[in-house]
Amino acid sequence: MTRGLGALARGLLRGGYAVASAVLLVVHLVLFVPGLGLGIIFLLPWPMAQLRRITNLVRRSCGDIPTPYRDRPGPPEREADGRYRHDRRLYRTPFWPRQYRYLNWVLGDAATWRDTGWMLLNPVVGGVLGAGPAALVVGGLAVATEAGQRAVYWIPVGLALIALGVVVAPAALRAHDSWTRRMLGPRAEVGSLKAWLGSRFFTLLRLAALGGMTVVTVGLAVLSAAVLALFAVGVVGAVPENAALTRRVTAIRRRLAEQWSGVPIQTPYRPEPALPDRRPDGLYAVGAHLYKSSGWTRFFQRLDWIWHDPATWRDLLWTVTDPFVGGALVLASAGAVGYGLIEVAIPALLRLARAEDPPALAFLADRPALALVAGVVLVVAGALAAPAALHWHGRWSAVLLAPTARARLSMRVEQLTESRADATSAQAAELRRIERDLHDGAQGRLVAVGLALGAIEALIDTDPAAARRLVADARESTARALAELRDLVRGVRPPVLAERGLVEAIRALALDSPVPATVAGALAGRAPEPVESAVYFAVSEALVNAAKHAAASTVAIAFTHAGGVLTAVVEDDGRGGADPAVGSGLRGMRHRLSAFDGTVRVVSPAGGPTTVTLEVPCALFSPKTSTSSGRDSSNS
Amino acid sequence: MRVVLAEDLYLLREGLKQLLSAHGFSVVAAVDNGPDLLRALLDERPDVAVVDVRLPPTQTDEGLQAALAARRELPGLPVLVLSQHVERLYARELLADGTGGVGYLLKDRVFNAEQFVDAVRRVAAGGTAMDPDVIAKLFAQSDQKVGRLTPREREVLELMAEGRSNAAIGQRLFLSESAVGKHTASIFGKLGLAASDDDNRRVLAVLAFLDGR
Repeated sequence: MTRGLGALARGLLRGGYAVASAVLLVVHLVLFVPGLGLGIIFLLPWPMAQLRRITNLVRRSCGDIPTPYRDRPGPPEREADGRYRHDRRLYRTPFWPRQYRYLNWVLGDAATWRDTGWMLLNPVVGGVLGAGPAALVVGGLAVATEAGQRAVYWIPVGLALIALGVVVAPAALRAHDSWTRRMLGPRAEVGSLKAWLGSRFFTLLRLAALGGMTVVTVGLAVLSAAVLALFAVGVVGAVPENAALTRRVTAIRRRLAEQWSGVPIQTPYRPEPALPDRRPDGLYAVGAHLYKSSGWTRFFQRLDWIWHDPATWRDLLWTVTDPFVGGALVLASAGAVGYGLIEVAIPALLRLARAEDPPALAFLADRPALALVAGVVLVVAGALAAPAALHWHGRWSAVLLAPTARARLSMRVEQLTESRADATSAQAAELRRIERDLHDGAQGRLVAVGLALGAIEALIDTDPAAARRLVADARESTARALAELRDLVRGVRPPVLAERGLVEAIRALALDSPVPATVAGALAGRAPEPVESAVYFAVSEALVNAAKHAAASTVAIAFTHAGGVLTAVVEDDGRGGADPAVGSGLRGMRHRLSAFDGTVRVVSPAGGPTTVTLEVPCALFSPKTSTSSGRDSSNS
Repeated sequence: MRVVLAEDLYLLREGLKQLLSAHGFSVVAAVDNGPDLLRALLDERPDVAVVDVRLPPTQTDEGLQAALAARRELPGLPVLVLSQHVERLYARELLADGTGGVGYLLKDRVFNAEQFVDAVRRVAAGGTAMDPDVIAKLFAQSDQKVGRLTPREREVLELMAEGRSNAAIGQRLFLSESAVGKHTASIFGKLGLAASDDDNRRVLAVLAFLDGR
């Protein structure tokens, strides 16, 4: 209620703008006559510039619409010879160049003409939308109070008018502001009529193509019915083939839904199971049945797989329902345009032109003028509905062709199981490597030191010279052990990574890289430790690859974090041609990052350059250290 | 000579204290964390500081940051940084202000007490002490730049980059000081570096050249 009343008041203010635009219109008309008629064109820009004061006020009060105007030009500049130039003429004073600039600024701006259009239309449109609800209320009041003199039943009519005014006020206000935004707001892109028609035309073509596909779907539905009938009488062989065919058709539909309707649809099918291992008795088991040959095993396994996948039955349901729902959407848009044009508008036009032997009109055969109007309305309505129809067509496809929540969950579980297995086996391998390195390296050296110390103890009195030699050996052994531990630590958790985080660690890595490498970007905080570590080793792998395989001469590494995703891009200028399917390094990178749902993208055309993009979803934490000053003192 | 010592491992801290005391230094403060270190450096204004890179409470590069911060307050404050690993990145930051009086060594270098104490004295005197590992990393990438040097000249250049004087280099390579001087002149000529009589400035120029700065 209060909302309605507030909207009424604000609507009245907007009604005031309608009056203001009407007044402006009169001023313009008065000045246009001498301006255009007598050629005094300098009269024209002034009222237009004044119009901007009003439109700016309207923009501010109708929801802070940004101003669309170009910047005002600066004053004319003096040429070397002391004169002022406009276009290809020189003037002694800056007066005329300034006038011309002003004229160009105002008249050359498309926003000026949209302002003028607003001024022409707003007295009516803005008036109705703005002051309309208030007028309803006032009218209702008048009817209700006057009612006593006429008949009692006018009172409810008056009250109803008042209520209507209050109820529609917020919607009218919104409509007013959106109309104002459309007229006075900056135009996002200059959409020409031609481009608009073109896009409609393509939308209609796509809808027509989808209509054609629906015909295929009908055929598929009939085929599926036949296959199921065969199944019922015991012929099972056609079921997998039929499902495969259906899946091929639905795959096209999913792709089109994404490309044309902008509705991405995941593939819902379960992965095809691998051939089971032979049992000890040499047979294959599928469910409770045992088979001897691998061919039959594969067949029944396939049958089982398809039969028990709910997506198979949703596909089937889709082939039956799509002709109705999808078909209706196509008929409502592309169908209406085609019918209106071919069956109504063109025959009516021919009839009106009194062509000989005109084609039959679908309806209104005796009133061709009305039929022409009806045809045009059908075409326009169909064209207007086309984008929405295309979008809803995609949405409809998603209803049955997208995986169910349950299927999505099970896919996710599968993916997580796989990445967990990867992560744990990578971790186990890492631990094995560390254990081996410690065993072969530092541990052995420390044993040697212990032995040497024992010998020194025994020799120190009897043979000091030999003892001193052994001391030197022991010192040497400890130095070696330390060096080996250092290398080991570097491979486990690089010191700079621990001390300063990802970007600085990569900077340190880049300094030691045999190929000159630059590091750009900064992160506002630290990523979680495991993510930092995974990204560090992946980038370091990419850097090694750039040096070793791509024969690059420079590498550029860039870090960003946006939208909850940490991105690292490693680009080299090498010879390219890296195949992510072949390199074990790239596979390792992928495994490392998959534990965090991270991805690796490699673009490496033959001839280069190679770009490796790592993306890991993660949040950043504020760094642990407070002393961040001094970081910028490295001048690279 | 007054020393401030920062090292969080008790055994190593005590060991360093003894080592330095035995060689005639007086350890005026031995701290085990970053904030205490910064306070000690600014209050005590020691003749030289021996600092571990990684210190509590954060176990990040707090020692290095405190040393750099103190050097911004007191330019030229001699600091010898010790670490379990050496990084070009950190070496660069220590050398960036171009004033010298810095050292950056692996902790292993304390095994050789004589050389370690020599490095501390060099840094205290405003000289430089760079770890051979850092210099090796610099040389690994400077093949083209130093390609025209003879093997002997390379040896001299390596020792020079570590921050040693001509006399020390001569002792190390069993050469006379004047022979080292000849090598040095030849190296500077080949690399196109301006010769300088001042040892410290010469070292800094060589390091800047090798680091490509």
